[in-house]
Amino acid sequence: MTTPAQLAFAWTALTAARMRSVLVIFAAAIGVAAVILLTALGEGARLYIMGEFSQLGSELLIVLPGKNEKGGGPPGMIFESERDLTLRDTAALRRLPHVTAVSPLSVGAIDASVGARSREATLLGSDATLQQTRKLKVARGEFLPPLELDSAQAVTVLGPTIARELFGSNSPLGEWVQLGDRRFRVIGILEEQGTSLGQNLNEVAIIPIANAQALFDNPALFRIMIEVDARSRMDSVKQAATRLLIELHQGEEDFTLITQDAVLSTFDAIFGVLTLSVAGIAAISLLVAGIIIMNVMLVSVSQRRGEIGLLMALGAPPALVLRLFLLESLLLGLLGALAGILLGRLGVWALAQAYPGFPLTTPLWAYLAAAFTALGAGLLFGWLPARRAARLDPVLALSGR
Amino acid sequence: MRIADLSRFTLQSLLAERQRSLLTMLAIAVGIAAVVLLTGLGSGLQRYLIGQFTQFGTHLIAVMPGKDNTTGMSISVIDTQRPLTLHDAQSLRDIPGVEAMTPVVSGQLTAEFAGKSRRTLAFGIGPQAPKVWGMALARGQFMPEDDLIAPRPVVMLGHTLAQSLFGHANPLGEKVRLGGMSFRVVGVLAPKGQMLGFDIDDAAYIPAALSLQLFNRDGVMEIDVLYREDESSASMVKRLSRRLMERHGAEDFTVQSQDQMLASLGKVLDVLTFAIGALGGIALLTGGVGILTLMSIAVAERRGEIGLLTALGAPSALVLRLFLGEAAILGALGGLLGVVIGLTGLWLLHLGIPALPFAPRADYLLVAEALALLIGLIAGVWPAMQAARLDPIEALREE
Repeated sequence: MTTPAQLAFAWTALTAARMRSVLVIFAAAIGVAAVILLTALGEGARLYIMGEFSQLGSELLIVLPGKNEKGGGPPGMIFESERDLTLRDTAALRRLPHVTAVSPLSVGAIDASVGARSREATLLGSDATLQQTRKLKVARGEFLPPLELDSAQAVTVLGPTIARELFGSNSPLGEWVQLGDRRFRVIGILEEQGTSLGQNLNEVAIIPIANAQALFDNPALFRIMIEVDARSRMDSVKQAATRLLIELHQGEEDFTLITQDAVLSTFDAIFGVLTLSVAGIAAISLLVAGIIIMNVMLVSVSQRRGEIGLLMALGAPPALVLRLFLLESLLLGLLGALAGILLGRLGVWALAQAYPGFPLTTPLWAYLAAAFTALGAGLLFGWLPARRAARLDPVLALSGR
Repeated sequence: MRIADLSRFTLQSLLAERQRSLLTMLAIAVGIAAVVLLTGLGSGLQRYLIGQFTQFGTHLIAVMPGKDNTTGMSISVIDTQRPLTLHDAQSLRDIPGVEAMTPVVSGQLTAEFAGKSRRTLAFGIGPQAPKVWGMALARGQFMPEDDLIAPRPVVMLGHTLAQSLFGHANPLGEKVRLGGMSFRVVGVLAPKGQMLGFDIDDAAYIPAALSLQLFNRDGVMEIDVLYREDESSASMVKRLSRRLMERHGAEDFTVQSQDQMLASLGKVLDVLTFAIGALGGIALLTGGVGILTLMSIAVAERRGEIGLLTALGAPSALVLRLFLGEAAILGALGGLLGVVIGLTGLWLLHLGIPALPFAPRADYLLVAEALALLIGLIAGVWPAMQAARLDPIEALREE
């Protein structure tokens, strides 16, 4: 029998029991569609987070105070360190080669008030370079002026939410706002931004670092952010910065330097695992579909005993019978995979219509994995029924016993 | 037909095609097992996390600076103009119902002894901290009941830290340098193990006032209060808030009881458990299609039998009921099989990872079983209607 003839034979058998075939194909399609849809969701979540991160720029090195033997402490805790990161460290880091900007950052909570209106704001102390390192956009007015690190000037740039709540519809530019126990003149308003990884930039007040240190009476910095001129030089700058800071800290490495990439790759790994396990759970239904294929093929073998007996009596070798039935279950798997891909794409499309902002793409590997699993299920679970057909005794089969 | 006859009839037709019925049940069972296993994992994780959080006791209330009460940490913990001071902490001590209280400051510093040094966690605490957190000693004693504001420089070492600095030597009475300040070792704590994967024995516990000096801070990060078991957490939260309001004149702090925290954690994990259970439920849908397929094959094969039944006077409602019953039994038995497989899987997992409690959710077991029965019924409706609508003459003629 030629291969096209074998295919035609299997196809005829499938279309003869149309209802049954459609149902089995549907079962396999559910599994494939679920895998495709769920990986699309997982990938979408990953891309979304990555997008949030890359807003911060990937040429960023971040210095945190403190270092543990094993790196870090229990999650969700903030740790002090006995030797602070200081403005002296910041100034020294600025003299490193291939560094385009170094921003000191101190953070705290403060009461912001205008007249009788008052609310709690997040105070960020930094300088003009913060606009570059954090990719901040100013909607109105201007950002902090370039100042010496240790010189104070009572000016502030407000987040849009804070500005609205303190000033209502009036223009805040040039007005005075009380931050803690001092007054600052508003020189700029930030552009509206989404919450960037828990840091809500809509509710901040940014002031020069020297003013912030005076307000909190605390010379310690929360972070130092270093922007490197090219991605390829991240490692060499990281090493140079580490050496420099160790020297400044009396030979002790009591700080931690992380790259944006390190944070990114951690997230990447977490989401990768998450997507894989969700897809894996969805793939359980492919196992179920396999069982159904086996069941239906077994039924079909027992119903077509006469036909098989005739084939063998006419001289068909058992290997051919085996191949014919395997081909049939493979076809079921293949059609199921195709239908599933269609169904999955339809689902992804519907989701994309419902949530336009969310990036939804199914990676190629998900299509391939789902399709191959469906085909594999057809082959694997088709084996037993096919073998049973091949082992039939033509005499017994033809006599109907 | 009597119920007994009805069930005998359906069981017999299922048994006649033993292999087929078994495979159909297996298809349903895989889906149910997935649901049972996944929800069991979810609630196991929930129990594990709650166990981790309650290892310091349940009658706890935490007071933090800042009024930001959303999830996550208030920015005030890092720096604020309205800190929670040691005096604030002290003022909470004599509130009725308060059993013990400790301020908390956490940080990292270098611990040095005889040329050896190690970066370690440092917790600034009050003398009542052992009572609040249920700490246990390996040797020596707890911190003396010093004044909160002006304590003596003493330190209690966590187990890991003591080992790495002193090896097998006795650390008691020795002077250790922490962040450049000298502390006398009064006690070594019994090992407590890991908290969420971090070694909490790699830590030094020093008086809060000295930690504030070391880290150059005005305020503590948190005040933990242990209250008497006969008090309700709500009234304690109210009392603590009132006292702090009197002192600060504004609500610039957050009071959160362990109950509230666990409740919100539980809510999140419940949603998670439900979500992965629902994912496993996709396989159930597939299993339902399997029942539908098999039942429609059965109806097609047994046309003669159905025709005979109708010719003998069986009303079509009875035929409908017979086939529906068959489908429902397939679903229900498949469900039972799935529950057994799922529970076995969970138990094996528990044997493999003892930290994960064996925590099958009874409610999800019942829901899964009911779902299996329901899926069997729904999948059976269409084939059963086909059977009931058969014309007996047509059906018998084909024989």
